Amino acid sequence: MRLDLTTPGLLGLPLGWLAAFFVVPIAIVAAYSFDVYSLNPGPHGFALTAWHDFLHSSVYLRLFWKSVKLSLIVSAVVVALAYPVAYYLALSSTKRKYVLLLLLIAPFLTSYLLRVLAWKVILGNEGVLNSFFVWVGLRSPDHPISQLLYSRFAVMLVLVYVWVPFVALPIFVSLESLDRRLLEAACDLGASRRVAFLRVTLPLSLPGVIAAFLFVFIPTVGEFVTPSLVGGTSGYLYGNQIVDLFQTGFPDWETGSVLALFLLLVVAAFTGVFARFLQVRQVA
Amino acid sequence: MEHEGDLLERKLSRDDLLKLAAATGGAGLLAGRTGIADAARAHFAAESGRLQVLDWAGYGNDGGQSMFAAYVKKYPKNKPQFTYMTNEADALAKIHAGLKPDLFRPYAGWVKYFATSGLVQPWTPKLIKNFKHLNPFMIKAGQYNGKQYGIPADWGFDAILYRSDKVKPKSRSWGLLFDDRYRDRIAWYDDPVLPLIVAGLYYRFKDPWNQTDAQLKKSQKLLMAKKPRMIWSSETDMDAAFASGDIWIAWAWPADYWTMKGKKLKVVYMRPKEKPISWVGMFMLLKGSSRPTLAHAYVDAWSSAKSGKWLEDNYGYGHSNTLARPSSSDLLRALQLDNPRAVTLPNAIFDRDVPRRALYAKLWDEVKAS
Repeated sequence: MRLDLTTPGLLGLPLGWLAAFFVVPIAIVAAYSFDVYSLNPGPHGFALTAWHDFLHSSVYLRLFWKSVKLSLIVSAVVVALAYPVAYYLALSSTKRKYVLLLLLIAPFLTSYLLRVLAWKVILGNEGVLNSFFVWVGLRSPDHPISQLLYSRFAVMLVLVYVWVPFVALPIFVSLESLDRRLLEAACDLGASRRVAFLRVTLPLSLPGVIAAFLFVFIPTVGEFVTPSLVGGTSGYLYGNQIVDLFQTGFPDWETGSVLALFLLLVVAAFTGVFARFLQVRQVA
Repeated sequence: MEHEGDLLERKLSRDDLLKLAAATGGAGLLAGRTGIADAARAHFAAESGRLQVLDWAGYGNDGGQSMFAAYVKKYPKNKPQFTYMTNEADALAKIHAGLKPDLFRPYAGWVKYFATSGLVQPWTPKLIKNFKHLNPFMIKAGQYNGKQYGIPADWGFDAILYRSDKVKPKSRSWGLLFDDRYRDRIAWYDDPVLPLIVAGLYYRFKDPWNQTDAQLKKSQKLLMAKKPRMIWSSETDMDAAFASGDIWIAWAWPADYWTMKGKKLKVVYMRPKEKPISWVGMFMLLKGSSRPTLAHAYVDAWSSAKSGKWLEDNYGYGHSNTLARPSSSDLLRALQLDNPRAVTLPNAIFDRDVPRRALYAKLWDEVKAS
């Protein structure tokens, strides 16, 4: 009998890649979190100390919750903003919709860092927005709105800006694959456009919406670049703490590993719940 | 045990001489003592590849080229290659993560930590021609157990920079960093230990570098309660925020004062009555470096009076070479560059080792996370 190597041949490379660059690094991080590996010389072995300290630290857990809340808000706002755009592009019969789609994702052609830094120019005390407020007489030059930059608001604003185009894509795909005859049927049966949207379009596009929500939530809950650039102290998030534990602060890789793994576990659980109950697989 | 870095300490045996003579076609012997020295140098300097330097931003090929121009001229095939560090803890993390620089430049408070960490090896001062011109106090600060682990380079202060047209301090104190009136306009420096030390100075604790548990708790509470708008780890970010008017009061270094003066801002570099913290950059040689001779040559270039003057003129920091003098008499006065003990009391409190560094760092992390 001839051995069929097609499947293992096709899966071998991606699985090997995943094992080498995902599973093994996570195993190493886990080893640090249990003190199996340690930066500090001297005897060490399996210990749950770092996990125990983390789970009993109100500071870290509070910071985690702060990041989750911020990320949930950002994800919700991004989806709410991206949906109408995707809806228009998918359901309009304009021939230019792919050109418009290209325009939507045009910001991706520039550096992420550059886009974030540009917001500093806009939000600063002497930035575009504050200068405008002074010009129209809403604020005096000595009292600009200082909360615009180096704040939680700035982090949310920039994250929303960065993610909207990205999130519009899965929603667009979901809406474009919608069977238009269903909408026609709904109208024939007397449904208004609003009712047709709420009872046909929205439920059918929900897998795309959920996928889009996860696309934002998963990376933003561990985000550290944007908060470190525009967040100031009030925009300091869980991801920043992980970076500090590994690098900027005095190295504490045990605690840093615990924080990183905890984030991974929560995100995995969150994704699992969504996938199980909302059947994200339908998106495909 | 012979030390790796102790190159000139090696005695040239008769065998060595013969080998060297053979290696150089007898040129060394024929040319006399100088020729032998050159041959020896060439022999020991058989080090290849680019010198790996872990340094602070602004001191590599991103603006600091004048500091090591003499080295590049002498060793054009071994030009330095830089990796940048944001602070000593960052450098430590990078080294732990597998980076293998030949040398790096932490500050004096870390000399003991690194000397006892097993990560570094002592220098051989005889290989550094300019060593004799370096400030004796700073040289001593680079020693541990009688060995020269740190070669002093730049020096300066941690103090407070503020906009004199916007800020009216209640007193000349570190308390300005905790002033609620300007909370939205204040920036602190992100360092694992220094903020707690400054809080300790503000409270006038006996030894802010070695606070008791109760003192640490009090310092941490102060920092949590007064956390400002910005905590900077990138000097460039802080300078940009200060220059744009987002920040009026900053924990800053002399270079920042110099930069803001250059931008024509009305600024004061305040020396708190509790005393500023002074520091000296210390070049350290990594254990296992495969280019120790090149590292010595690099540090020698940095240590020259010419490099020192350039540093003072362009960055506004002091330099450990006592012959270096800036062009500006203002800077000379401001930093007391002609005072060999400018970094010590009564002028400033010299940074030193923190015995419970990990605990300080953990408390500081909690401040940021709070």
